[in-house]
Amino acid sequence: MRFWVPWLLLCVSCGVFEFHPYELRGTDRDRHVHSLERLRRDAPEGPFRFAVIGDMQLFLDESAAAVKDLQRRDVAFVVQLGDLTEFGSAQEYEWAAGLLDELPVPFFAVIGNHDVLGTGADIYRRTFGPAFFTFEYAGSRFVLFDSNSREYGFPGNVPDLEALREALAPEPGLTHTFTFSHVPPGHGDFDAALTQPLEQLQAERGVSISFHAHIHDFDSNVRQGVRYFITDSLDHRNYLLVTVQGEAVQVERVFY
Amino acid sequence: MQAVWHARALVLTLLLIPVEALTEPPREGPPWYVPDHASLQLAGSIGLLSAGPGWAFLDEAVEAGLLLGWAPPLVAGEDFLTLTLKGQWHPFRVEWRGWSLRPLTVGMLFSYTFGDAYFVRLPDRYPDGYYWFKTGLRPALLVGGGAGRPVPALGLRLLEGYFELVATDYRTIHFVQDPGTVRTGLFSLALGARFRF
Repeated sequence: MRFWVPWLLLCVSCGVFEFHPYELRGTDRDRHVHSLERLRRDAPEGPFRFAVIGDMQLFLDESAAAVKDLQRRDVAFVVQLGDLTEFGSAQEYEWAAGLLDELPVPFFAVIGNHDVLGTGADIYRRTFGPAFFTFEYAGSRFVLFDSNSREYGFPGNVPDLEALREALAPEPGLTHTFTFSHVPPGHGDFDAALTQPLEQLQAERGVSISFHAHIHDFDSNVRQGVRYFITDSLDHRNYLLVTVQGEAVQVERVFY
Repeated sequence: MQAVWHARALVLTLLLIPVEALTEPPREGPPWYVPDHASLQLAGSIGLLSAGPGWAFLDEAVEAGLLLGWAPPLVAGEDFLTLTLKGQWHPFRVEWRGWSLRPLTVGMLFSYTFGDAYFVRLPDRYPDGYYWFKTGLRPALLVGGGAGRPVPALGLRLLEGYFELVATDYRTIHFVQDPGTVRTGLFSLALGARFRF
């Protein structure tokens, strides 16, 4: 009776047909959970490095070059800072996630303002998992959160400072905390009422570095004793390489 | 509930168009607004299925069509309802052993998606020009071909099958920017049938 359903699903999964730009394709992939499993398996002792890459949007070929460069680097994992897509469409998510899948190491992606367009937020969830995400590695904590306040009309709880406060709670044995979100605090697309509270919270909790993107141009400054980095978008052909060695954290721009 | 409603709308469109056209007296030059063909299409970024009336001009070399499209959650994860305006040009027509072949079709479409999740006019929360595209109105280019035969038993002057390679805006722009990543992803495939009365 419904013999055509599996055929259709097959054709959908092989990508020949597209039923709508904002369709939700296939099944949940939950790449963050998968990355976390891989990360736990090879947790090291001592110093480690990770890479932070910027907006991918319309720069997929340059992103592919970044992935290629990262394949040669000794990094434990990679964090992408949002705007994986330009339109938030299913096909773009497939291209972007497909590129990141080429990384030999686990990877995590923040949700960007372009990524929530249409049904983009749902596609993100299916592709990576929840937008608020915390993990630990080698005595450091990493927190990814959604700071695209304008996309939701500045509702007052984006970014979710309560969740952030909880995630940044001090814990014995934790040397560093790093936070990652797309829109930097202080930018017009970040809820102005939450800029000061966020910066204060990050200072209180002793965040080592706060990473952001969105502006497409590199910047780095210190606010209330916390270091803030904004990555170039990937059309600038560079990313950040972060080395954690005990108390010391070193950030280096790598051009490729 | 919404899904059922969409299905009904689609079926209704399918049923109405041929009836309306068939009731016109043949060979008497019906008024211009009476469609001379109808299409039923699978995929092409405007729904799982889409259907609607069409009008041909210049000895059927140029065509315009309206398509109401629907994609159900079963295959698209969400309920999508679209309305598409499609323009096409068939530069050649070849008659061959009772077949009418159109080896090349080029065209363009604009597809509107119903629903609050998609915008045509930028919502108030954004400053002017914040996004340069509209998530609710998609342009696309298409290239394809088709072949058909008369089916007098069904009252059809011509029953045609066609295929289209559809390059939506996001595919085209990414292809221009990132040919190495996109490659054949420039296109998705649409299949369809055209009923000429």
